[in-house]
Amino acid sequence: MAELNGEDAADPSGADQNTDDRNAADHTVAVDGVTKVFEQQGGDSVEALADVSFTVDEGEFVCIVGPSGCGKTTLFRIIAGLEAATGGEVRLDGEPVTGPAMDRGMVFQEYGLFPWRTVLENVAFGLEQQDMDEQARRERAHEMIDLVGLDGFADAYPNELSGGMKQRVGIARALAVDPALLLMDEPFGSVDAQTRGMLHGELLDIWSETRKTVLFVTHDVEEAVTLADRVVVLSGGPGTVREVVDIDLDRPRERTDAAFADYQERILELIHES
Amino acid sequence: MSIEAASDTETAAATERPPLTERVDRRRIVLGLVGSLVFLAVWQAAAMAVGRTYLLPSPLAVAVAFGGELAKTETLALPLVGDVTGSKLLVKLLQSLMHYLPGLLIGTVLGIALGVAMGWSQTVEDLFTPVTRVLRPIPPLAWIAFAIVWIGIGHGGATFIVSIGAFWINFYNAYSGVEGVPQDLTEVAASLGVHDDWTMIRKVVIPSATPELMTGIRTSIGQCWMIVVAAELFGAPGVGYQIINASQNLDTEVSVVYMLVISLVFLASDTLFRRVERRVLAWRN
Repeated sequence: MAELNGEDAADPSGADQNTDDRNAADHTVAVDGVTKVFEQQGGDSVEALADVSFTVDEGEFVCIVGPSGCGKTTLFRIIAGLEAATGGEVRLDGEPVTGPAMDRGMVFQEYGLFPWRTVLENVAFGLEQQDMDEQARRERAHEMIDLVGLDGFADAYPNELSGGMKQRVGIARALAVDPALLLMDEPFGSVDAQTRGMLHGELLDIWSETRKTVLFVTHDVEEAVTLADRVVVLSGGPGTVREVVDIDLDRPRERTDAAFADYQERILELIHES
Repeated sequence: MSIEAASDTETAAATERPPLTERVDRRRIVLGLVGSLVFLAVWQAAAMAVGRTYLLPSPLAVAVAFGGELAKTETLALPLVGDVTGSKLLVKLLQSLMHYLPGLLIGTVLGIALGVAMGWSQTVEDLFTPVTRVLRPIPPLAWIAFAIVWIGIGHGGATFIVSIGAFWINFYNAYSGVEGVPQDLTEVAASLGVHDDWTMIRKVVIPSATPELMTGIRTSIGQCWMIVVAAELFGAPGVGYQIINASQNLDTEVSVVYMLVISLVFLASDTLFRRVERRVLAWRN
Protein backbone atom coordinates (compact mmCIF):
# COMPACT_ATOMS: atom_id res chain seq x y z
CA MET A 1 0.00 0.00 0.00
CA ALA A 2 2.68 2.48 -0.98
CA GLU A 3 0.11 5.01 -2.11
CA LEU A 4 -1.12 5.47 1.43
CA ASN A 5 1.95 7.50 2.31
CA GLY A 6 0.47 10.88 3.14
CA GLU A 7 1.50 14.27 2.06
CA ASP A 8 4.13 15.15 4.55
CA ALA A 9 6.46 16.28 1.78
CA ALA A 10 5.08 19.83 1.87
CA ASP A 11 7.77 22.37 1.12
CA PRO A 12 7.46 25.15 3.70
CA SER A 13 9.53 27.63 1.73
CA GLY A 14 7.59 27.49 -1.55
CA ALA A 15 4.30 29.33 -1.36
CA ASP A 16 5.43 32.76 -0.23
CA GLN A 17 8.50 33.20 -2.40
CA ASN A 18 7.31 32.18 -5.81
CA THR A 19 4.65 34.28 -7.53
CA ASP A 20 3.39 31.32 -9.56
CA ASP A 21 2.77 29.40 -6.38
CA ARG A 22 0.98 32.39 -4.90
CA ASN A 23 -1.41 32.41 -7.81
CA ALA A 24 -1.92 28.69 -7.51
CA ALA A 25 -2.62 29.07 -3.81
CA ASP A 26 -5.43 31.51 -4.54
CA HIS A 27 -7.53 28.55 -5.61
CA THR A 28 -8.43 25.90 -3.09
CA VAL A 29 -8.37 23.27 -5.81
CA ALA A 30 -6.53 23.52 -9.12
CA VAL A 31 -6.98 20.64 -11.53
CA ASP A 32 -4.26 21.34 -14.07
CA GLY A 33 -4.07 19.44 -17.37
CA VAL A 34 -4.95 16.09 -15.81
CA THR A 35 -4.86 13.09 -18.13
CA LYS A 36 -5.38 9.48 -17.23
CA VAL A 37 -4.55 6.51 -19.40
CA PHE A 38 -5.38 3.00 -18.30
CA GLU A 39 -3.06 0.34 -19.66
CA GLN A 40 -4.96 -2.79 -20.48
CA GLN A 41 -3.90 -6.36 -20.86
CA GLY A 42 -2.48 -7.03 -24.31
CA GLY A 43 -0.88 -3.61 -24.62
CA ASP A 44 -4.01 -1.61 -25.46
CA SER A 45 -4.58 1.57 -23.56
CA VAL A 46 -7.74 3.54 -22.84
CA GLU A 47 -7.67 7.27 -22.34
CA ALA A 48 -10.15 8.07 -19.55
CA LEU A 49 -9.34 11.75 -19.04
CA ALA A 50 -7.71 14.14 -21.51
CA ASP A 51 -6.29 17.47 -20.36
CA VAL A 52 -8.90 18.25 -17.70
CA SER A 53 -8.44 21.67 -16.12
CA PHE A 54 -10.62 23.75 -13.80
CA THR A 55 -10.34 25.47 -10.44
CA VAL A 56 -12.44 25.68 -7.31
CA ASP A 57 -12.18 28.69 -5.02
CA GLU A 58 -12.44 28.72 -1.28
CA GLY A 59 -15.99 28.32 -0.01
CA GLU A 60 -17.34 27.43 -3.43
CA PHE A 61 -19.78 24.63 -4.15
CA VAL A 62 -18.82 23.03 -7.46
CA CYS A 63 -20.51 20.07 -9.11
CA ILE A 64 -18.97 17.84 -11.74
CA VAL A 65 -21.56 16.33 -14.07
CA GLY A 66 -21.23 14.16 -17.12
CA PRO A 67 -22.58 11.04 -18.77
CA SER A 68 -21.69 7.70 -17.27
CA GLY A 69 -18.30 6.52 -18.42
CA CYS A 70 -16.98 10.07 -18.85
CA GLY A 71 -14.34 9.57 -16.17
CA LYS A 72 -16.09 11.42 -13.31
CA THR A 73 -15.17 8.79 -10.78
CA THR A 74 -11.60 8.57 -12.09
CA LEU A 75 -11.30 12.32 -11.71
CA PHE A 76 -12.73 12.12 -8.17
CA ARG A 77 -10.20 9.43 -7.27
CA ILE A 78 -7.30 11.47 -8.67
CA ILE A 79 -8.37 14.57 -6.71
CA ALA A 80 -8.78 12.40 -3.61
CA GLY A 81 -5.26 11.06 -4.13
CA LEU A 82 -6.48 7.47 -4.43
CA GLU A 83 -5.14 7.22 -7.95
CA ALA A 84 -2.25 8.92 -9.72
CA ALA A 85 -2.78 11.01 -12.85
CA THR A 86 -0.88 9.94 -15.96
CA GLY A 87 -0.17 13.59 -16.75
CA GLY A 88 -0.86 16.98 -15.20
CA GLU A 89 -1.49 17.52 -11.51
CA VAL A 90 -4.02 18.45 -8.88
CA ARG A 91 -3.06 21.11 -6.36
CA LEU A 92 -4.76 21.77 -3.08
CA ASP A 93 -3.97 25.22 -1.69
CA GLY A 94 -1.01 25.26 -4.04
CA GLU A 95 0.42 21.90 -2.91
CA PRO A 96 0.42 18.98 -5.35
CA VAL A 97 -1.76 16.07 -4.26
CA THR A 98 0.29 12.87 -3.85
CA GLY A 99 -2.02 10.67 -1.80
CA PRO A 100 -5.13 10.62 0.35
CA ALA A 101 -4.93 12.86 3.41
CA MET A 102 -7.06 14.61 6.00
CA ASP A 103 -7.23 17.85 4.03
CA ARG A 104 -9.79 16.23 1.71
CA GLY A 105 -12.79 14.68 3.43
CA MET A 106 -14.37 11.98 1.28
CA VAL A 107 -18.04 10.98 1.11
CA PHE A 108 -18.92 7.91 -0.95
CA GLN A 109 -22.15 6.74 -2.56
CA GLU A 110 -22.09 3.53 -0.53
CA TYR A 111 -21.30 5.49 2.67
CA GLY A 112 -18.09 3.61 3.57
CA LEU A 113 -19.05 3.57 7.25
CA PHE A 114 -17.21 1.25 9.65
CA PRO A 115 -20.05 -1.14 10.57
CA TRP A 116 -18.39 -2.24 13.84
CA ARG A 117 -18.24 1.32 15.12
CA THR A 118 -21.15 3.32 16.51
CA VAL A 119 -22.12 6.63 14.95
CA LEU A 120 -19.99 8.43 17.53
CA GLU A 121 -17.00 6.16 16.95
CA ASN A 122 -17.32 6.53 13.17
CA VAL A 123 -17.35 10.30 13.42
CA ALA A 124 -14.40 10.24 15.83
CA PHE A 125 -12.27 7.96 13.60
CA GLY A 126 -10.26 10.73 11.95
CA LEU A 127 -9.86 12.55 15.27
CA GLU A 128 -8.19 9.44 16.71
CA GLN A 129 -5.35 9.87 14.21
CA GLN A 130 -4.74 13.37 15.56
CA ASP A 131 -3.29 14.44 18.86
CA MET A 132 -6.52 14.94 20.71
CA ASP A 133 -7.57 13.68 24.13
CA GLU A 134 -10.66 11.56 24.43
CA GLN A 135 -12.79 14.26 26.03
CA ALA A 136 -12.12 16.75 23.23
CA ARG A 137 -12.68 14.00 20.68
CA ARG A 138 -16.09 13.16 22.07
CA GLU A 139 -17.09 16.80 22.21
CA ARG A 140 -16.04 17.41 18.62
CA ALA A 141 -17.79 14.24 17.42
CA HIS A 142 -21.02 15.18 19.24
CA GLU A 143 -20.82 18.66 17.72
CA MET A 144 -20.63 17.13 14.22
CA ILE A 145 -23.46 14.68 14.97
CA ASP A 146 -25.64 17.60 16.04
CA LEU A 147 -24.63 19.51 12.90
CA VAL A 148 -25.98 16.77 10.63
CA GLY A 149 -29.10 16.35 12.77
CA LEU A 150 -28.37 12.93 14.24
CA ASP A 151 -28.49 13.86 17.93
CA GLY A 152 -29.81 10.89 19.85
CA PHE A 153 -28.20 8.36 17.48
CA ALA A 154 -24.62 8.65 18.74
CA ASP A 155 -24.62 5.09 20.11
CA ALA A 156 -26.43 3.44 17.19
CA TYR A 157 -24.59 1.12 14.79
CA PRO A 158 -24.74 1.88 11.04
CA ASN A 159 -26.88 -1.24 10.46
CA GLU A 160 -29.63 0.36 12.52
CA LEU A 161 -29.78 3.49 10.34
CA SER A 162 -31.58 4.34 7.10
CA GLY A 163 -29.61 5.25 3.97
CA GLY A 164 -30.12 8.95 4.48
CA MET A 165 -28.97 8.74 8.10
CA LYS A 166 -25.91 6.72 7.10
CA GLN A 167 -24.88 9.37 4.64
CA ARG A 168 -25.26 12.04 7.30
CA VAL A 169 -22.83 10.05 9.42
CA GLY A 170 -20.48 9.95 6.41
CA ILE A 171 -20.67 13.73 6.09
CA ALA A 172 -20.16 14.29 9.83
CA ARG A 173 -17.14 11.98 9.81
CA ALA A 174 -15.57 13.78 6.86
CA LEU A 175 -16.18 17.22 8.41
CA ALA A 176 -14.92 16.26 11.87
CA VAL A 177 -11.25 16.62 10.92
CA ASP A 178 -11.98 20.04 9.40
CA PRO A 179 -10.74 19.35 5.86
CA ALA A 180 -10.02 22.15 3.37
CA LEU A 181 -12.21 20.37 0.84
CA LEU A 182 -15.25 18.13 1.04
CA LEU A 183 -15.16 15.64 -1.83
CA MET A 184 -18.43 13.85 -2.53
CA ASP A 185 -18.91 11.09 -5.11
CA GLU A 186 -22.62 10.65 -5.92
CA PRO A 187 -23.32 10.77 -2.18
CA PHE A 188 -27.10 10.63 -2.52
CA GLY A 189 -27.22 8.08 -5.34
CA SER A 190 -28.40 5.31 -3.03
CA VAL A 191 -31.24 7.11 -1.23
CA ASP A 192 -34.82 7.58 -2.39
CA ALA A 193 -35.86 10.78 -4.17
CA GLN A 194 -37.73 12.23 -1.20
CA THR A 195 -34.82 11.75 1.18
CA ARG A 196 -32.46 13.12 -1.46
CA GLY A 197 -34.42 16.37 -1.64
CA MET A 198 -34.24 16.72 2.12
CA LEU A 199 -30.52 15.94 2.21
CA HIS A 200 -29.88 18.60 -0.46
CA GLY A 201 -31.40 21.19 1.83
CA GLU A 202 -29.40 19.94 4.80
CA LEU A 203 -26.15 19.81 2.86
CA LEU A 204 -26.64 23.43 1.75
CA ASP A 205 -27.35 24.41 5.37
CA ILE A 206 -24.19 22.66 6.54
CA TRP A 207 -22.24 24.27 3.72
CA SER A 208 -23.42 27.78 4.59
CA GLU A 209 -22.75 27.12 8.27
CA THR A 210 -19.22 25.73 7.83
CA ARG A 211 -18.26 27.62 4.62
CA LYS A 212 -16.47 24.51 3.38
CA THR A 213 -15.30 24.19 -0.19
CA VAL A 214 -17.33 21.38 -1.75
CA LEU A 215 -16.61 19.35 -4.88
CA PHE A 216 -19.58 17.16 -5.67
CA VAL A 217 -19.64 14.52 -8.41
CA THR A 218 -23.02 13.50 -9.86
CA HIS A 219 -24.65 12.26 -13.05
CA ASP A 220 -27.90 14.01 -12.09
CA VAL A 221 -28.13 17.43 -13.79
CA GLU A 222 -31.07 18.51 -11.65
CA GLU A 223 -29.06 17.76 -8.51
CA ALA A 224 -26.13 19.79 -9.85
CA VAL A 225 -28.32 22.81 -10.66
CA THR A 226 -29.98 22.56 -7.23
CA LEU A 227 -26.69 22.66 -5.36
CA ALA A 228 -23.82 24.25 -7.25
CA ASP A 229 -22.34 27.70 -7.64
CA ARG A 230 -20.68 26.37 -10.75
CA VAL A 231 -21.12 23.16 -12.74
CA VAL A 232 -18.17 21.55 -14.50
CA VAL A 233 -19.68 19.72 -17.48
CA LEU A 234 -17.58 16.78 -18.63
CA SER A 235 -18.01 15.07 -21.97
CA GLY A 236 -17.03 11.49 -22.42
CA GLY A 237 -14.59 9.33 -24.32
CA PRO A 238 -12.03 10.59 -23.20
CA GLY A 239 -13.36 12.88 -20.48
CA THR A 240 -12.71 16.57 -21.13
CA VAL A 241 -14.21 19.73 -19.68
CA ARG A 242 -16.97 20.72 -22.07
CA GLU A 243 -17.83 23.93 -20.27
CA VAL A 244 -18.02 25.38 -16.80
CA VAL A 245 -21.51 26.82 -16.20
CA ASP A 246 -22.09 29.46 -13.52
CA ILE A 247 -25.44 28.94 -11.82
CA ASP A 248 -26.63 32.42 -11.01
CA LEU A 249 -29.72 31.60 -8.96
CA ASP A 250 -30.63 32.48 -5.40
CA ARG A 251 -31.00 29.67 -2.91
CA PRO A 252 -33.18 27.87 -2.08
CA ARG A 253 -33.79 27.07 -5.72
CA GLU A 254 -37.12 25.94 -7.10
CA ARG A 255 -37.14 23.25 -9.75
CA THR A 256 -40.31 24.76 -11.16
CA ASP A 257 -38.51 28.06 -11.77
CA ALA A 258 -38.11 28.92 -15.48
CA ALA A 259 -34.46 29.91 -15.01
CA PHE A 260 -33.77 26.60 -13.23
CA ALA A 261 -35.19 24.72 -16.19
CA ASP A 262 -33.09 26.81 -18.59
CA TYR A 263 -29.87 25.86 -16.80
CA GLN A 264 -30.90 22.25 -16.72
CA GLU A 265 -31.65 22.23 -20.42
CA ARG A 266 -28.43 23.98 -21.30
CA ILE A 267 -26.31 21.51 -19.37
CA LEU A 268 -28.18 18.54 -20.82
CA GLU A 269 -27.54 19.94 -24.30
CA LEU A 270 -23.84 20.31 -23.56
CA ILE A 271 -23.72 16.68 -22.43
CA HIS A 272 -25.64 15.38 -25.44
CA GLU A 273 -23.71 17.39 -28.00
CA SER A 274 -20.53 15.60 -27.09
CA MET B 1 -49.00 -23.33 18.53
CA SER B 2 -48.48 -22.08 14.99
CA ILE B 3 -45.21 -21.84 13.13
CA GLU B 4 -45.49 -18.05 13.02
CA ALA B 5 -45.71 -17.89 16.76
CA ALA B 6 -42.65 -20.10 17.03
CA SER B 7 -40.51 -17.86 14.86
CA ASP B 8 -41.72 -14.79 16.75
CA THR B 9 -40.44 -16.29 19.96
CA GLU B 10 -37.10 -16.91 18.28
CA THR B 11 -36.74 -13.31 17.11
CA ALA B 12 -37.58 -12.02 20.55
CA ALA B 13 -34.99 -14.34 22.06
CA ALA B 14 -32.29 -12.95 19.79
CA THR B 15 -32.97 -9.31 20.52
CA GLU B 16 -34.38 -8.83 24.01
CA ARG B 17 -33.46 -12.02 25.85
CA PRO B 18 -36.46 -12.38 28.18
CA PRO B 19 -36.33 -14.94 31.03
CA LEU B 20 -35.41 -18.51 30.09
CA THR B 21 -38.93 -19.87 30.54
CA GLU B 22 -40.30 -17.52 27.90
CA ARG B 23 -37.36 -17.87 25.58
CA VAL B 24 -37.61 -21.59 24.85
CA ASP B 25 -40.46 -22.83 22.82
CA ARG B 26 -42.52 -25.55 24.55
CA ARG B 27 -43.38 -27.28 21.30
CA ARG B 28 -39.74 -27.70 20.40
CA ILE B 29 -38.88 -29.03 23.85
CA VAL B 30 -41.63 -31.60 23.75
CA LEU B 31 -40.72 -32.78 20.25
CA GLY B 32 -37.03 -32.90 21.16
CA LEU B 33 -37.80 -34.99 24.22
CA VAL B 34 -39.99 -37.36 22.20
CA GLY B 35 -37.28 -37.82 19.57
CA SER B 36 -34.63 -38.49 22.20
CA LEU B 37 -36.79 -41.02 24.05
CA VAL B 38 -37.56 -42.87 20.81
CA PHE B 39 -33.84 -42.96 20.01
CA LEU B 40 -33.00 -44.34 23.47
CA ALA B 41 -35.80 -46.92 23.25
CA VAL B 42 -34.65 -48.17 19.83
CA TRP B 43 -31.07 -48.32 21.10
CA GLN B 44 -32.10 -50.22 24.26
CA ALA B 45 -34.21 -52.66 22.21
CA ALA B 46 -31.41 -53.21 19.72
CA ALA B 47 -28.90 -53.80 22.52
CA MET B 48 -31.24 -56.33 24.16
CA ALA B 49 -31.72 -58.05 20.81
CA VAL B 50 -27.96 -58.25 20.23
CA GLY B 51 -27.45 -59.38 23.78
CA ARG B 52 -23.70 -58.79 23.99
CA THR B 53 -22.50 -55.58 25.66
CA TYR B 54 -19.17 -55.53 23.82
CA LEU B 55 -20.99 -55.52 20.45
CA LEU B 56 -23.60 -52.94 21.38
CA PRO B 57 -23.76 -51.66 24.98
CA SER B 58 -27.24 -50.59 26.07
CA PRO B 59 -27.87 -46.99 27.20
CA LEU B 60 -28.32 -48.36 30.69
CA ALA B 61 -24.91 -50.06 30.59
CA VAL B 62 -23.37 -46.80 29.36
CA ALA B 63 -25.00 -44.86 32.20
CA VAL B 64 -23.63 -47.35 34.73
CA ALA B 65 -20.18 -47.14 33.15
CA PHE B 66 -20.39 -43.33 33.23
CA GLY B 67 -21.00 -43.44 36.96
CA GLY B 68 -18.13 -45.91 37.34
CA GLU B 69 -15.62 -43.78 35.45
CA LEU B 70 -16.70 -40.73 37.41
CA ALA B 71 -16.31 -42.59 40.72
CA LYS B 72 -12.84 -44.05 40.03
CA THR B 73 -9.99 -41.86 41.15
CA GLU B 74 -6.69 -41.37 39.47
CA THR B 75 -3.63 -39.30 40.25
CA LEU B 76 -2.04 -37.08 37.70
CA ALA B 77 1.41 -35.55 38.06
CA LEU B 78 1.25 -31.98 36.81
CA PRO B 79 4.24 -29.77 36.18
CA LEU B 80 4.53 -26.96 38.76
CA VAL B 81 1.32 -27.94 40.58
CA GLY B 82 2.43 -31.44 41.62
CA ASP B 83 0.15 -34.44 42.05
CA VAL B 84 -3.55 -33.98 41.50
CA THR B 85 -6.02 -36.69 42.47
CA GLY B 86 -9.53 -36.72 41.14
CA SER B 87 -12.23 -38.56 39.25
CA LYS B 88 -10.74 -40.67 36.46
CA LEU B 89 -13.12 -39.20 33.90
CA LEU B 90 -12.13 -35.66 34.80
CA VAL B 91 -8.42 -36.53 34.92
CA LYS B 92 -8.63 -37.96 31.39
CA LEU B 93 -10.45 -34.85 30.23
CA LEU B 94 -7.79 -32.68 31.86
CA GLN B 95 -5.10 -34.67 30.05
CA SER B 96 -6.79 -34.07 26.71
CA LEU B 97 -7.15 -30.36 27.51
CA MET B 98 -3.42 -30.23 28.20
CA HIS B 99 -2.72 -30.60 24.51
CA TYR B 100 -6.06 -29.43 23.10
CA LEU B 101 -5.87 -25.93 24.59
CA PRO B 102 -2.22 -25.08 23.82
CA GLY B 103 -2.56 -26.57 20.33
CA LEU B 104 -5.71 -24.58 19.64
CA LEU B 105 -4.14 -21.39 20.97
CA ILE B 106 -0.83 -21.69 19.11
CA GLY B 107 -2.46 -22.75 15.83
CA THR B 108 -5.09 -20.01 16.02
CA VAL B 109 -2.63 -17.21 16.73
CA LEU B 110 -0.14 -18.28 14.05
CA GLY B 111 -2.88 -19.06 11.51
CA ILE B 112 -4.54 -15.67 11.94
CA ALA B 113 -1.16 -13.93 11.80
CA LEU B 114 -0.16 -15.55 8.49
CA GLY B 115 -3.69 -15.25 7.06
CA VAL B 116 -3.85 -11.51 7.80
CA ALA B 117 -0.33 -10.95 6.48
CA MET B 118 -1.05 -12.80 3.24
CA GLY B 119 -4.46 -11.21 2.80
CA TRP B 120 -3.08 -7.72 3.33
CA SER B 121 0.35 -7.69 1.71
CA GLN B 122 0.78 -8.57 -1.95
CA THR B 123 4.44 -9.35 -1.30
CA VAL B 124 3.73 -11.79 1.52
CA GLU B 125 0.99 -13.34 -0.60
CA ASP B 126 3.30 -13.85 -3.56
CA LEU B 127 5.99 -15.24 -1.26
CA PHE B 128 3.90 -17.86 0.48
CA THR B 129 1.12 -18.80 -1.92
CA PRO B 130 2.98 -21.74 -3.51
CA VAL B 131 4.08 -23.17 -0.15
CA THR B 132 0.66 -22.85 1.46
CA ARG B 133 -1.04 -24.35 -1.62
CA VAL B 134 1.09 -27.48 -1.31
CA LEU B 135 1.00 -27.84 2.48
CA ARG B 136 -2.65 -27.02 3.14
CA PRO B 137 -4.22 -30.23 1.74
CA ILE B 138 -2.07 -32.42 4.02
CA PRO B 139 -4.28 -33.73 6.85
CA PRO B 140 -2.92 -32.62 10.24
CA LEU B 141 -2.54 -36.22 11.40
CA ALA B 142 -0.14 -36.93 8.55
CA TRP B 143 2.39 -34.80 10.43
CA ILE B 144 2.52 -37.52 13.09
CA ALA B 145 5.85 -38.65 11.67
CA PHE B 146 7.47 -35.35 12.64
CA ALA B 147 5.62 -35.26 15.92
CA ILE B 148 7.18 -38.62 16.78
CA VAL B 149 10.76 -37.91 15.70
CA TRP B 150 10.91 -34.33 16.94
CA ILE B 151 8.86 -34.30 20.09
CA GLY B 152 7.69 -37.81 20.83
CA ILE B 153 4.13 -38.95 21.23
CA GLY B 154 2.79 -37.30 24.36
CA HIS B 155 1.38 -33.89 25.16
CA GLY B 156 4.05 -32.21 23.03
CA GLY B 157 3.42 -34.29 19.92
CA ALA B 158 -0.35 -34.06 20.27
CA THR B 159 -0.12 -30.27 20.79
CA PHE B 160 1.89 -30.09 17.56
CA ILE B 161 -0.74 -32.02 15.58
CA VAL B 162 -3.67 -30.07 17.05
CA SER B 163 -1.95 -26.75 16.34
CA ILE B 164 -1.49 -27.70 12.68
CA GLY B 165 -5.22 -28.39 12.43
CA ALA B 166 -6.12 -25.08 14.09
CA PHE B 167 -3.51 -23.27 11.99
CA TRP B 168 -4.99 -24.08 8.58
CA ILE B 169 -8.59 -23.45 9.57
CA ASN B 170 -7.76 -20.04 11.01
CA PHE B 171 -5.30 -19.23 8.27
CA TYR B 172 -7.89 -19.79 5.59
CA ASN B 173 -10.64 -17.83 7.33
CA ALA B 174 -8.39 -14.90 8.18
CA TYR B 175 -7.00 -14.83 4.64
CA SER B 176 -10.39 -14.71 2.94
CA GLY B 177 -11.72 -12.31 5.60
CA VAL B 178 -8.93 -9.83 4.95
CA GLU B 179 -9.22 -10.21 1.17
CA GLY B 180 -12.89 -9.29 1.58
CA VAL B 181 -12.30 -6.02 3.46
CA PRO B 182 -14.16 -3.43 1.35
CA GLN B 183 -11.84 -1.04 -0.48
CA ASP B 184 -14.10 1.86 0.51
CA LEU B 185 -13.15 1.34 4.14
CA THR B 186 -9.38 1.39 3.65
CA GLU B 187 -9.71 4.42 1.38
CA VAL B 188 -11.85 6.31 3.87
CA ALA B 189 -9.36 5.45 6.61
CA ALA B 190 -6.50 6.72 4.45
CA SER B 191 -8.36 9.98 3.86
CA LEU B 192 -8.84 10.24 7.63
CA GLY B 193 -5.15 10.07 8.38
CA VAL B 194 -4.26 6.36 8.52
CA HIS B 195 -1.00 6.17 6.61
CA ASP B 196 0.79 3.09 7.96
CA ASP B 197 0.05 -0.60 7.52
CA TRP B 198 -0.01 -1.45 11.20
CA THR B 199 -2.64 1.17 12.11
CA MET B 200 -4.69 0.13 9.06
CA ILE B 201 -4.56 -3.53 10.09
CA ARG B 202 -5.41 -2.77 13.70
CA LYS B 203 -8.18 -0.23 13.11
CA VAL B 204 -9.77 -1.36 9.86
CA VAL B 205 -8.64 -4.75 8.57
CA ILE B 206 -8.99 -6.86 11.71
CA PRO B 207 -12.31 -5.36 12.85
CA SER B 208 -13.73 -5.70 9.36
CA ALA B 209 -12.60 -9.34 9.11
CA THR B 210 -13.83 -10.21 12.62
CA PRO B 211 -16.87 -12.23 11.44
CA GLU B 212 -14.57 -14.51 9.40
CA LEU B 213 -12.00 -14.69 12.21
CA MET B 214 -14.77 -15.76 14.60
CA THR B 215 -15.97 -18.43 12.19
CA GLY B 216 -12.42 -19.74 11.95
CA ILE B 217 -12.01 -19.96 15.71
CA ARG B 218 -15.40 -21.62 16.18
CA THR B 219 -14.70 -24.16 13.44
CA SER B 220 -11.32 -25.00 14.90
CA ILE B 221 -12.80 -25.45 18.39
CA GLY B 222 -14.81 -28.35 16.95
CA GLN B 223 -12.30 -29.73 14.47
CA CYS B 224 -9.52 -29.81 17.04
CA TRP B 225 -11.48 -32.28 19.19
CA MET B 226 -11.46 -34.67 16.25
CA ILE B 227 -7.73 -34.18 15.89
CA VAL B 228 -7.26 -34.72 19.64
CA VAL B 229 -8.96 -38.11 19.44
CA ALA B 230 -6.96 -39.07 16.36
CA ALA B 231 -3.66 -37.99 17.94
CA GLU B 232 -4.44 -39.91 21.12
CA LEU B 233 -5.05 -43.09 19.15
CA PHE B 234 -1.28 -43.03 18.68
CA GLY B 235 -0.78 -43.05 22.43
CA ALA B 236 -1.02 -39.53 23.80
CA PRO B 237 -2.92 -39.69 27.11
CA GLY B 238 -6.49 -38.44 27.35
CA VAL B 239 -10.09 -39.08 26.44
CA GLY B 240 -9.33 -40.38 22.94
CA TYR B 241 -6.82 -42.86 24.26
CA GLN B 242 -9.47 -44.17 26.68
CA ILE B 243 -11.81 -44.82 23.74
CA ILE B 244 -9.30 -47.07 21.98
CA ASN B 245 -7.99 -48.60 25.20
CA ALA B 246 -11.44 -49.58 26.47
CA SER B 247 -12.34 -50.98 23.09
CA GLN B 248 -9.25 -53.19 23.08
CA ASN B 249 -10.39 -54.57 26.45
CA LEU B 250 -13.86 -55.06 24.93
CA ASP B 251 -15.26 -52.56 27.47
CA THR B 252 -17.26 -50.95 24.69
CA GLU B 253 -19.58 -49.20 27.14
CA VAL B 254 -16.57 -47.31 28.53
CA SER B 255 -15.63 -46.27 24.99
CA VAL B 256 -19.12 -44.83 24.59
CA VAL B 257 -18.73 -42.96 27.90
CA TYR B 258 -15.65 -41.15 26.57
CA MET B 259 -17.31 -40.55 23.21
CA LEU B 260 -20.06 -38.79 25.14
CA VAL B 261 -17.50 -36.81 27.15
CA ILE B 262 -16.12 -35.37 23.91
CA SER B 263 -19.61 -34.53 22.73
CA LEU B 264 -20.47 -32.77 26.01
CA VAL B 265 -17.25 -30.79 26.12
CA PHE B 266 -17.72 -29.76 22.51
CA LEU B 267 -21.30 -28.65 23.13
CA ALA B 268 -20.26 -26.66 26.19
CA SER B 269 -17.36 -24.92 24.47
CA ASP B 270 -19.35 -24.23 21.31
CA THR B 271 -22.24 -22.72 23.30
CA LEU B 272 -19.82 -20.59 25.27
CA PHE B 273 -18.07 -19.39 22.13
CA ARG B 274 -21.32 -18.60 20.34
CA ARG B 275 -22.16 -16.35 23.25
CA VAL B 276 -18.80 -14.60 22.97
CA GLU B 277 -19.28 -14.32 19.20
CA ARG B 278 -22.72 -12.78 19.59
CA ARG B 279 -21.35 -10.17 21.95
CA VAL B 280 -18.33 -9.34 19.77
CA LEU B 281 -20.45 -9.10 16.63
CA ALA B 282 -23.35 -7.21 18.23
CA TRP B 283 -22.99 -4.53 15.54
CA ARG B 284 -24.23 -6.93 12.86
CA ASN B 285 -27.80 -7.25 14.17
